[in-house]
Amino acid sequence: MSARHILTYLVAILPLGLFIGYPLGALLWSSVSTSNEGAVTYTLAFLAEALSSPAYLAVLGVTLVICIATAIISVAIALPMALFVWSRPARYQPIALLVLILPMFMSYIVKIYTMRSLLGLNGFFNQLLLTTGIVDKPTTLFLFNRGSILATFVVLYIPFAALPIYLSLERVPANFVLAGRDLGASYARALKDIVLPLASPGIVAAALFAFILALGDFVTPQMVGGPSGMTFGRIVWSQFGLAFNYSLGAALGIVLLVVTVAALAGSGLASRALTARMGR
Amino acid sequence: MSASRMNVAFGAVFTGAVMLLYLPILTVALYAFFPVERGSIDLSAPTLGYFADLAGNVSVLEALANSGLAALLSSLLSLVVATLYAAYLREKSGPFKVAFEALIYAPFFLPPIVVGLSLLLASASSGIPRGVATIVLGHSLFTLAVVYRIISVRLANLPPSLVQASADLGASRLQTIRFVTIPHLMSAYVAAGLLAALLSFDETLITALVAGDTTTLPLRLWAMMRVGFSPSINALVVVVVGICLVLSLAAFATLSRETRPA
Repeated sequence: MSARHILTYLVAILPLGLFIGYPLGALLWSSVSTSNEGAVTYTLAFLAEALSSPAYLAVLGVTLVICIATAIISVAIALPMALFVWSRPARYQPIALLVLILPMFMSYIVKIYTMRSLLGLNGFFNQLLLTTGIVDKPTTLFLFNRGSILATFVVLYIPFAALPIYLSLERVPANFVLAGRDLGASYARALKDIVLPLASPGIVAAALFAFILALGDFVTPQMVGGPSGMTFGRIVWSQFGLAFNYSLGAALGIVLLVVTVAALAGSGLASRALTARMGR
Repeated sequence: MSASRMNVAFGAVFTGAVMLLYLPILTVALYAFFPVERGSIDLSAPTLGYFADLAGNVSVLEALANSGLAALLSSLLSLVVATLYAAYLREKSGPFKVAFEALIYAPFFLPPIVVGLSLLLASASSGIPRGVATIVLGHSLFTLAVVYRIISVRLANLPPSLVQASADLGASRLQTIRFVTIPHLMSAYVAAGLLAALLSFDETLITALVAGDTTTLPLRLWAMMRVGFSPSINALVVVVVGICLVLSLAAFATLSRETRPA
């Protein structure tokens, strides 16, 4: 590389380093330091607390279970939806796709609000139970528990799971299915042995999106989870509100970052393994 | 199972999920146009009164102005930055390009809380106060990945022969950019800009961490939800969903017109 190349490289990387690298560095730095009236002390105490406190670990466990369940259920619903759109005649595919992904953009906070009004005391489900006479007074069964968090996550993240699945289905050549059928495979067999393996990177990406989006969410658990719906994201968020402990918040944020990177790496490996198995 | 039976099953899941995704919003929207007394809705007397209340609500108007400003500035910023990186990285390959793109895509793939937290701590350690500027920065970082992706794919599709032909016909490099490259990228700019504005307008989690005392429409709505039910929330929901719908339909129309063969 010539001097000029190196110079343009430095100029090009500078904004990314400044606006992406520096904040991530600040996160790391804050997690191992604390400042008291200008005097900075370095300590691993915050990271140790984030990783060893039984209370935080218990919430992390619950959060991971909710997020994994969100990923599985979202994919289980999004996959047949994407297959339905994909198997429409070419003429209707764009409109079916639009119907599928439009909710992605219909405001995150509004969807939480509508789920709350659906699950709440005066909500749709309670009205239904009251009118059918199954209960005689409104029940809090639907709101402020882990189930309501899971249900809201699924409603929020189905479209995010459906899009990557559809995009990977779109790349499966239509005549592969026809070839499979000609060779005597049933439609179900052709889907299972030809289409789904080819679409597996999209399915893995779908699960990853749903998992990561649910992992850091702190508004949903607060609005529909109530006091019993503590998640890791809420704990992190609370360090910057009432608890006002930036260093601990940063250390807990690092835990989320590590889980995310592990999920990204794991899905990369899963995707590669699935594709490699297909090559044989 | 036969093909048609499987399609019926897929169609049933599709229909059920679509109802689950759309009906709650439609119901809330309906409530915005009719008076609500003790939880029951009076369908005989449609009213726009809740919208009139909103128009007189200073904090909602201020939040709307902030959201609009952040969407406009952050989408313009990410269009400019994404263009520069797409042009710079176009001819590059190998670990060099991978490193750049990893940084560009990182804020999109990390949970918003991690991105927001990092920006909050960066603003605390650098002494830059939180406000509209940090919101614009946060939104630009988050939308840059999407905008960069759309523009770089479109740039890669520009046949080199067009640029060569332009040069052969005596055009300067600037003229080639002006008359060949930019027209080729134009619809990608429109779609990416609309998508970026939409993502910014809807962004809640990063914003909550970097906004400081400034408020945006999603934050305002969140605060109103915590206080409790009021019919004007439903009216605000209609406004927010309406804006999102217009932006996303416009982006979708631009993108689908583009993919249709000429």
